[in-house]
Amino acid sequence: MNDNLRNEKDIGRANMLKILSVVPILFLVIGIGYGIYSSGVGEIIKGLSNIILSPTILITDFIKVGGISAALINVGLVGLINLSIMQRYRLKINGALIAAFFTVIGFSFFGKNLYNIIPIYLGGYFYTLYQKNSFKDIFVVVMFGTGLAPIISEISFSGVLQPIAAFAISMIAGIFIGFVIVPLSSHMLKFHDGYNLYNIGFTAGIIGTVLTSVLRSFGVTVQPVYIVSDSNHLVIILLLLFVFAVLMITGIFLNHRAILDYPKVFAYKGRLITDFTHLIGYGTTFVNMSVLGFLSLFYVLIIGGTVNGPALAGIFTVVGFGAFGKHLKNCLPVMVGVIMTALFFGFELSATNIVIAVLFSTTLAPIAGTYGPFIGFIAGILHMILVTNVGVIHGGINLYNNGFSGGLVAGVLIPVVDAFKRE
Amino acid sequence: MQHEAKKITLIVNELLTVLLLDGSSEIDIKILKQNQRTEIIMVQHQCCHDDRFIERLRYNLNTQRQKEVEGYYWQLVGENDNGDELYLVGTMVDQAIVERRGEDLFIQLIRKM
Repeated sequence: MNDNLRNEKDIGRANMLKILSVVPILFLVIGIGYGIYSSGVGEIIKGLSNIILSPTILITDFIKVGGISAALINVGLVGLINLSIMQRYRLKINGALIAAFFTVIGFSFFGKNLYNIIPIYLGGYFYTLYQKNSFKDIFVVVMFGTGLAPIISEISFSGVLQPIAAFAISMIAGIFIGFVIVPLSSHMLKFHDGYNLYNIGFTAGIIGTVLTSVLRSFGVTVQPVYIVSDSNHLVIILLLLFVFAVLMITGIFLNHRAILDYPKVFAYKGRLITDFTHLIGYGTTFVNMSVLGFLSLFYVLIIGGTVNGPALAGIFTVVGFGAFGKHLKNCLPVMVGVIMTALFFGFELSATNIVIAVLFSTTLAPIAGTYGPFIGFIAGILHMILVTNVGVIHGGINLYNNGFSGGLVAGVLIPVVDAFKRE
Repeated sequence: MQHEAKKITLIVNELLTVLLLDGSSEIDIKILKQNQRTEIIMVQHQCCHDDRFIERLRYNLNTQRQKEVEGYYWQLVGENDNGDELYLVGTMVDQAIVERRGEDLFIQLIRKM
């Protein structure tokens, strides 16, 4: 047995699922409680309705659109639906699944809702029927694939088409995306060779570019928007602190040496696929996720940023990928590269688009892990330059804009770095 | 199953890369393809690998078949110079035997359809 796993308690798949369910249940309960206490049931329903009926194009913050309680309830419901599918198909709780789950949770503050994710799941389901596979085999890809969910909301609610036609076309588009996302995303891995952790972001960027071009050729204008909450909410910050503390405590409970073993995580480069649950065990993995969570949250607060929907998506995605390739050593050089570039070009670090560029730039952590901090820093510079320019190509229908940019950076940078390597 | 022949080729490719990077110089490969399963047997003659390497190989190849991981990431197997996708190979096989047999290192992988 691996040295790191000797002290690990095996609590079984069902209990692991219960641990994951803490996050959506907590958000759902707090969302309902907070909503009833602060504004009443009517406001909660109105907020949820606003979230569902929003076009959700990048950047649409559900805290701004629907209020805190509706946003939390949306996160809870989306999370629980995904957990119930995991339970139904008895999926192994591995690093990829944890990363996908936290990514979906995070983006439910910022683009994903029950209305726009379901057609993509249906498309994935039809794909498995067509290929005579199990839905279980592609569920992780489809979860990540919901990064294109805004196209469903955009077609449905942009007001360009009649409601029935809009609904029908949006469903067809969503099902089509779910159907093709598996072969496409697998194929796209070869472009960046696994150095871009948000591979679906790159895939979704390509699909989004094609679909947006089709829409534009029919006269539908798809332009990114900027609807973000600009004030911090104590309830959300406390919730995050609680979740990260629970991750830390759970990690130590599962492996009493988790803190001592934690530095071992730095030995891994992080390239796809680096499943920490297998390599260092769940205990140390949860500690790593917790550390990354605290780091991300404190970074946003220290630079004077707002913990709004997009920032929450960034924080939860970093936390999720703490089970699947990210750690402090491979994340920090890339983040520093983005921060320095933003300062060089005179951007305000606390602006939401820069906050999320810094957080999501960790998609390129494997480059720092493999080629060292200097090349990681360069990757961060390139990421910052690209990410502020590629959103317009897909018109904001790809929520994982940083994954798109990251794929381009990795696809260009890795062969260039290899060209300078000597045998 | 889709891309079956290519997946078997990539599994062999990855294992070969790992063994060659760790100093192997003489390796025999045998592939037995049957209706419902494929067997991949590799014998590295005059085993030059230490126990830690063999244990890492055994641990990663016995990770447990995970079709959801395979379905998404299989194209990364055998494509990199570093030979660091052993875990991914492990998710693509149902059974793995890794052991010293006399002077040789014997690896047998079984992949069911």
